[in-house]
Amino acid sequence: MSNTSSVTPQTTPWKQPLDLLLLFGLLLLGLITPFAATSFGAATITSSDVLQVFSHKFLGLGESMGVTERIIWELRLPRVILAFIAGAGLSIAGSVLQTVTRNPLADPYLFGISSGASFGAVMALTLFSQSILWLSLPLGAFIGASLSVLMVLSLCGRNLSTQVERMLLSGVAISFMFGAMASLLLYFSSPQAAASVLFWSLGSFAKASWSGLILPAIIVSLCTVIILLFKRQIVAMRAGDETAHTLGINVGRLRLSMLLLCSLITAILVANCGGIGFIGLMVPHTVRLLFPGKYPLLLTAAIGGLFMVWVDVLARTLLSYQELPVGIITSVMGSVFFLFILGGRSAKRI
Amino acid sequence: MSKQALTTVLAVSGLGWQLNGLAILADIDFSLAKGQMLGIIGPNGAGKSSLLRCLYRFIKPTTGQIQLFGEDISALSAKAFAKQIAVVLQDTPHHFEMTTTQLVSLGLTPHKGAFEFTNASDRQVVAQALVKVGLADKANQAYESLSGGEKQRALIARAIVQRPQLLILDEPTNHLDIRYQIQTLELLHTLNITVITSIHDLNLASALCDELLLLDKGRCLAKGTPKQVLTEQRIAEVFDVCCEVKVHPQHGNPLISYFYGYHLGEKAAHQAAVDANSAASTVAADKGATDV
Repeated sequence: MSNTSSVTPQTTPWKQPLDLLLLFGLLLLGLITPFAATSFGAATITSSDVLQVFSHKFLGLGESMGVTERIIWELRLPRVILAFIAGAGLSIAGSVLQTVTRNPLADPYLFGISSGASFGAVMALTLFSQSILWLSLPLGAFIGASLSVLMVLSLCGRNLSTQVERMLLSGVAISFMFGAMASLLLYFSSPQAAASVLFWSLGSFAKASWSGLILPAIIVSLCTVIILLFKRQIVAMRAGDETAHTLGINVGRLRLSMLLLCSLITAILVANCGGIGFIGLMVPHTVRLLFPGKYPLLLTAAIGGLFMVWVDVLARTLLSYQELPVGIITSVMGSVFFLFILGGRSAKRI
Repeated sequence: MSKQALTTVLAVSGLGWQLNGLAILADIDFSLAKGQMLGIIGPNGAGKSSLLRCLYRFIKPTTGQIQLFGEDISALSAKAFAKQIAVVLQDTPHHFEMTTTQLVSLGLTPHKGAFEFTNASDRQVVAQALVKVGLADKANQAYESLSGGEKQRALIARAIVQRPQLLILDEPTNHLDIRYQIQTLELLHTLNITVITSIHDLNLASALCDELLLLDKGRCLAKGTPKQVLTEQRIAEVFDVCCEVKVHPQHGNPLISYFYGYHLGEKAAHQAAVDANSAASTVAADKGATDV
């Protein structure tokens, strides 16, 4: 025990040059993304067109660009924003859930949310007419998702030592239950309905509109703010339930409220964009590997959002004649990128 | 009682805890004066950890009262309680990706409100705690990469940052080699706060604790100074071993030497020697030891 050591410990984070470089790169990407992402798509639009439209809309400079302006303003921009909100929300929910359940495999769909939502969506598709599907499908998905969360919540005990385990197990059970019921309904429904459920379940931002953005934007940002308020407590949960308890945290209550917030985020997103897999699992881990030892929640959200925007750009440009579901691309890209980072990091470490 | 209240940090009376109708702890009374170090000793399963868990409110006792500075601990809010009592537990979860500094900073948790960022003076407190436990040069290392003794010191630094009136430790010397065992307990003495720690090694407890509380089957068998608690007869009864207690040449507290090959735990031997008293005296005669 060398008390003679006069070294003042370096406690300020974000001082490594690599971290700063990464942050700078992200900032740059964040700045060009709105312009670049809106210029990709079926209609040929250049970045300078986008700039002109933005300056006309935001600053009142220049003239309206007619069709181009409508494409950018009414179709692509809401879509880019929805993609960002979805990516950010799913990433932050995944990150928080992985921490409070101390399960590295936790993702936003952990508690049967996606199968609950699918069940709700299938119900809506099979029971209601196609004409009101724009309303009944997201509503059904939201109700199904909320139902599964409420069931998990009512099943998870107050006893701290068994709480996480019960939560995870009841999530699995409920997931299978809703999955079976959705499959049953699909089995007896028309091929058309089955196809639309499949497309919905793979995720898409094609239906984005300004009015549709309001609710996801409000809910995701509100939940994010609340989560940030409890960041210190969430980080302390990593030390274990008992230690967190001795640090003055009401562990059971914190875990339940975080589960509720994350479920709210996931439910509203799954209802609006379908089930976009892998991103809530992958982005938090990627951030953890890129910035080891830190817990940058907001950065996780930003990276998740940007990633999602670019995945959506790929989804609408990869094939010239049709759109790909984003869920497929997130899974393919995500797994490859994830393995790449994992390999690079472990090679450096060991 | 009112005179004592000024200096008494913790007062436990009639404490009992039952789990599924089974009494894990029963009739435990003790009080602890400011600045003292209390060692909780006893065989495995005696209820040491359960007693500590009652003290830091992780389990709610079935009966009895625990008072911290004269106030019932159940009346305190979680945050207020964490400002008074810090706890160092045995193990941290795996995949615990934090630097030493980040781990130590966790001690700030009860002192910080929502949206209150870690400021320069907090960093100062963390840095000082690291210097105090001699880990200043390991501040930015991953906690997982520290040695057992360093991990224990990092956890103690976290407790220092919590600025408690009372520090509770559960087996802080477990899995440590003898140098770190001594170092860890001596470090606790330098902190000048009231300490309660459970401890396995009786010689270490004798050397470094001001007071001892001997638990067996959830009951308090003895409490007092090491000299009062650690007698040959008690150790033989409670731990089922043969030993000789002498005076330690340096600190003057009991020094226990164990004898081997006496399987008092075997049922036949146990029944033959109806009371441990006679067994102990037989052993003493065997070894030609003088009466205590």
